[in-house]
Amino acid sequence: MADASGANEATAKMDYFFIIDFVQSLVDGLLFGTTYALIGIGFTLIFGVMRKLNLAYGAAALAGTYIGLAAFLAFDAPPPVVFLASALGSGLIGLVVYYCCFRFTPTSYPMASLLASVGMLLFIDEVVIHLSHGMPFPYPSVFSDATLELGDIWIRGDLLFVFGMCVVAMAVLFWLLYRTPLGLATRAVSQQPRAAQLCGIDSTRVNALTFVIAGILGGVAGAMTAAAVGVLSPIIAMGLTVKGLIVVVIGGLGSIPGAIIGGLLVGAAENVFLLLRGVTERDIYVMLLLFLFLTLRPGGLFGSTAGRD
Amino acid sequence: MKLKSFLAAGLVSVSALAMSTAAMAEDKTVRIVGFGASSGVVGIFGQNSSAAMSAAFEKINAEGGVTLADGSKAQIVTEYYDDRCNAEEGISVLRRIATTDALIAIGPTCSNVAEPLFGILQAKVDDSGDTGLQFPVFTDVAIKGGLAGISEWVFRNTPSEAKMYDDLFAWIRATHPDLKTIYGGVEEDFAHSRFTWYEVMKKAAEQHGFEVVGEAQWLLSDTNFSNQARGMRREEPDIVAISAHPFTTCGMLREMARQKIQPKVLVGLTSSSSLETLSGCAAEAQGLTIPTSFAPVNDDARSAAEAVVAKGGQMDLHSASAWENAMILRDVINAAGIEGTPESLDADRRKIRDGLSTLTEAQGLLGVNQRLPDGEAVKPYVFVHAKDAGWEVLHDPGS
Repeated sequence: MADASGANEATAKMDYFFIIDFVQSLVDGLLFGTTYALIGIGFTLIFGVMRKLNLAYGAAALAGTYIGLAAFLAFDAPPPVVFLASALGSGLIGLVVYYCCFRFTPTSYPMASLLASVGMLLFIDEVVIHLSHGMPFPYPSVFSDATLELGDIWIRGDLLFVFGMCVVAMAVLFWLLYRTPLGLATRAVSQQPRAAQLCGIDSTRVNALTFVIAGILGGVAGAMTAAAVGVLSPIIAMGLTVKGLIVVVIGGLGSIPGAIIGGLLVGAAENVFLLLRGVTERDIYVMLLLFLFLTLRPGGLFGSTAGRD
Repeated sequence: MKLKSFLAAGLVSVSALAMSTAAMAEDKTVRIVGFGASSGVVGIFGQNSSAAMSAAFEKINAEGGVTLADGSKAQIVTEYYDDRCNAEEGISVLRRIATTDALIAIGPTCSNVAEPLFGILQAKVDDSGDTGLQFPVFTDVAIKGGLAGISEWVFRNTPSEAKMYDDLFAWIRATHPDLKTIYGGVEEDFAHSRFTWYEVMKKAAEQHGFEVVGEAQWLLSDTNFSNQARGMRREEPDIVAISAHPFTTCGMLREMARQKIQPKVLVGLTSSSSLETLSGCAAEAQGLTIPTSFAPVNDDARSAAEAVVAKGGQMDLHSASAWENAMILRDVINAAGIEGTPESLDADRRKIRDGLSTLTEAQGLLGVNQRLPDGEAVKPYVFVHAKDAGWEVLHDPGS
């Protein structure tokens, strides 16, 4: 009798732990998923405006993050300055990528810019590895020791900060796109590039600024990823690129709300599958999710089916 | 007058001949090349090995070089080939090296390169039915156990992790008799990390009476460790052993600190006893205990480390092996009587292979390395721990 009650107690305890772990995984995944959302937004923003994929985007974001790190190592800069330098550095690299891979490649050959961006991805990756010797470096975190305890659920202070920063970045992006002349021009070029040009909008300038804005978002994502881990390594470049692409496929290429939902979904799915199936199977299920979207809903959750001129 | 002129001309001719012979002797060279990952995310290992080899060969050359069969001296020339820690590239690089006048290659860096690469070499010498490559390889870094058995052309100077961790857990058992449980953390997608946890650390821990209460797994490029650390926190282990490379070791250590996981003993992977771990997370790594076959504990080791730093590298257990390999090869070449000519290339390679296979011991930086019949080595080692952003010797089992 005592054995049976002991077994029941153990089962109940296991169920309780499972629920706690499940909720905790979901919360962590959603919070960390905002960095994926930012990367997804960057991909989608460029695709929305130019109808071209910039595969060097994740690498440029990482390189920008290293610029922030350099400020930290050389001048012992405080975290806000490091994050700002990362974002601005990434924006600047975004501009370079635009001029090297997109500005002068013929528009009639979409593969030209795509392959140029693959080349740039490898080039940036190599430069970063060469300069850093592939070594991990400490990256400043904020609120890394702070924890919000809600019963058995712990919410990391630094992840809350990452979440907050990403939400602010998204809010600023929406303000830029929907409340400023630049945003109006960007949306115009995105919807009707020829008509926008006829109205006097300089599409080259808009495209360049889109790369800068997307680069800044990527820099914020890179900085927040590094801040959440507390260490920066070139290893994370490929992860940023792959996750960003999965996010835009799930959310729908060209849709900013889609990138946000896609990012949160991928972040949560990753953590939940990690809990349920272990690390060796985690990515299989995330890729299965990608496959399902590609076959059943190729336009993603919010993909627009409408064309443009 | 005629006689005087004739004698003078003869003297000049003899002097010129003597000088040209001396110059020819000085010009004699033998080539020993290195290969491994000198770019990519584990490129630092190859860069350190390359620096260690260069420094060692520079020292050998400054001391006169190596002695050839005819008693003349030859300088050692070297270069380093990059395989990017990729098996296909490693195989291609070794095939390319074998077509040059290189006598032997030192490398590779990664175990996932070493394993298939050793498979292209002739398994047993003098086996006419085996058309595998007949070229000697002397491994410095790739540390996964037992790989030298793949081919008789392979020799390794990597420490025996099985022996080191067995001794480490025996020492922990002796110094902390109250400890009972251990929790493992492993980087699942890296051959060395996986092998060391499942085949070395875990078995050694169990053998010395520690109960393995759980395992956390992650991948090389993971950035989020909260799930894994939560399982660890719940078990409250006495010992945590992390078998991972510096980037994820640091990520996991930070997560452990965040979740207030404070094991009484923290054990790390041999490859993490490097500058990388300290530059990534010195504070969180405080107390991390690792067995290593290199520490600057004597004059030889200190002066070798300084020479490597002067070449732009860092001396750790891996690059120390590259240094030792260079010194061992000097002694083998001196004893083997190689001719160092293009015609004798195959015979010279074979002499070096045979010379390495007959060695039973070789001088290393921490003492005498035992050379085993299967081509592996057992090297002296110490236990170090991270303290105040440096590695400090915690215990010397040989003392």
